[in-house]
Amino acid sequence: MIRIDHLYKRFDEHEVLKGISLNIDKGTTAVIIGPSGSGKTTFLRCLNLLEIPDSGTIELGEDKLTFEDQKITEKIKTRFRKHSGMVFQSYHLFPHKTALENVMEGPVIVQGKPKEEARETGIKLLGKVGLGAHAHKYPHQLSGGQQQRVGIARAMAMGPEVLLFDEPTSALDPELVGDVLKVMKDLSEEGMTMVVVTHEMSFARDAADEVIFIDNGSIIEHGTPKEVFEHTKHERTKQFLNRLEK
Amino acid sequence: MVERVSTVTHLLISSFWPILKAGLLITIPLTLITFILGLILGLLTAMARLSRMKVLDFIARFYVWIFRGTPLLVQLFILFYGLPSIKVTISPFTAAVIGFTLNMGAYNSEIIRAAILSIDKGQWEAAYAIGMTKRQAMRRIIIPQAARVSIPPLGNSFIGLVKDTSLAATITLTELFQKGQQIASVNYEPFWIYVEVAFIYLIFCTILTYLQGYVEKRFEKHVAK
Ligand SMILES: Nc1ncnc2c1ncn2[C@@H]1O[C@H](COP(=O)(O)OP(=O)(O)OP(=O)(O)O)[C@@H](O)[C@H]1O
Ligand SMILES: [Mg+2]
Repeated sequence: MIRIDHLYKRFDEHEVLKGISLNIDKGTTAVIIGPSGSGKTTFLRCLNLLEIPDSGTIELGEDKLTFEDQKITEKIKTRFRKHSGMVFQSYHLFPHKTALENVMEGPVIVQGKPKEEARETGIKLLGKVGLGAHAHKYPHQLSGGQQQRVGIARAMAMGPEVLLFDEPTSALDPELVGDVLKVMKDLSEEGMTMVVVTHEMSFARDAADEVIFIDNGSIIEHGTPKEVFEHTKHERTKQFLNRLEK
Repeated sequence: MVERVSTVTHLLISSFWPILKAGLLITIPLTLITFILGLILGLLTAMARLSRMKVLDFIARFYVWIFRGTPLLVQLFILFYGLPSIKVTISPFTAAVIGFTLNMGAYNSEIIRAAILSIDKGQWEAAYAIGMTKRQAMRRIIIPQAARVSIPPLGNSFIGLVKDTSLAATITLTELFQKGQQIASVNYEPFWIYVEVAFIYLIFCTILTYLQGYVEKRFEKHVAK
């Protein structure tokens, strides 16, 4: 489903991703953990080309991009982004559109679906994330947790093969985190392929099929939650997990 | 003394309508036409400035540089008194529309450009993430938000324009101010006539300020806070 091979990314002098190779199978929920500045966000952004890697390859579904020898045009970017949906840490909902309009925007404008059809799907998706009653509210009328669930519905509306989450709950008040995680767990159980950067260890333990520990731009450890959390192999992972528990 | 008061009162009343009429027939249409054209030109120029095409950006910069760096009055003189010498003759109204539009366009483009740049980068990324092209993101997501941001400064430039149209008097356009000048020159009551002229501008601007406030309220309903 997702094949990443020797992915490198640098910002000026600073090498942020140092040869990441990773395969994620269809239907898998992969959780990425790692210290601040280790490159988790950059990695996720490379997967939908919000950052363009310097070298390496990314294969998503049928689509394969090899960086360095291929010029990444806007056309390639928009085509490649169809495979994934992204949920942002600070939601980035469109403030001038209602929850429903946020969800309909992609299907109508990008996919050219008829409005009625998009509306129906949109209402269904909002119902699914528990916001059926809030479809006609504007983002500023919703709580952070509700906004983030609209963000998930908006990403889902495009029918992506993979959903990417960058710390989707870390901007939320603690009491709102649960609702968002619940929606993510449901998606995971339905067999959605997901790559989730998060510090929520409960989610990693309960919902993840695989846990990936990244430090300083490299994958240090990769395995099932049990392998990574209970039979930790690497000293650096142990230190990181110890610090998290405190 | 009593006689003087009565003459002035009489003069003010009899001149009120002709001056107001010049305002309604020339000043207001000139303002509205040039504001709308100046808005379109400003938007196009802002787009050119933000374009990846270096040539467009260069042309836009050059245009803004010229029109912000020279007096409006001089621009009007070049159009109306200068162009006939190269065999291009235009009516005072046309010259005024062209002059004010070019001037407005240059200033508005900077307002619009700043508004577009003020929109959070996350909005672009969210638009890209659902598969939008740059064009779609600009049109559907960025411009509507930038429009709200730029309404207060555009409203100010609109009200500025109402007053600036008085410069068109110098290119023989009989708008509000020139009408006042004509009346003052035959009645020898410049003080009272010009106070009356000022008063009529004040009425126009006051109404427009209310209108601006109304538009702002309508548009700012759902701006992210
Ligand atoms: N656009 C950019 N330009 C320059 N440096 C950047 C840019 N984006 C990220 N970096 C740098 O790359 C490194 C990795 O950043 P990244 O955001 O990927 O880390 P992260 O693992 O997501 O951290 P956090 O847990 O704090 O979110 C950091 O040192 C950061 O300063
Ligand atoms: Mg991050």
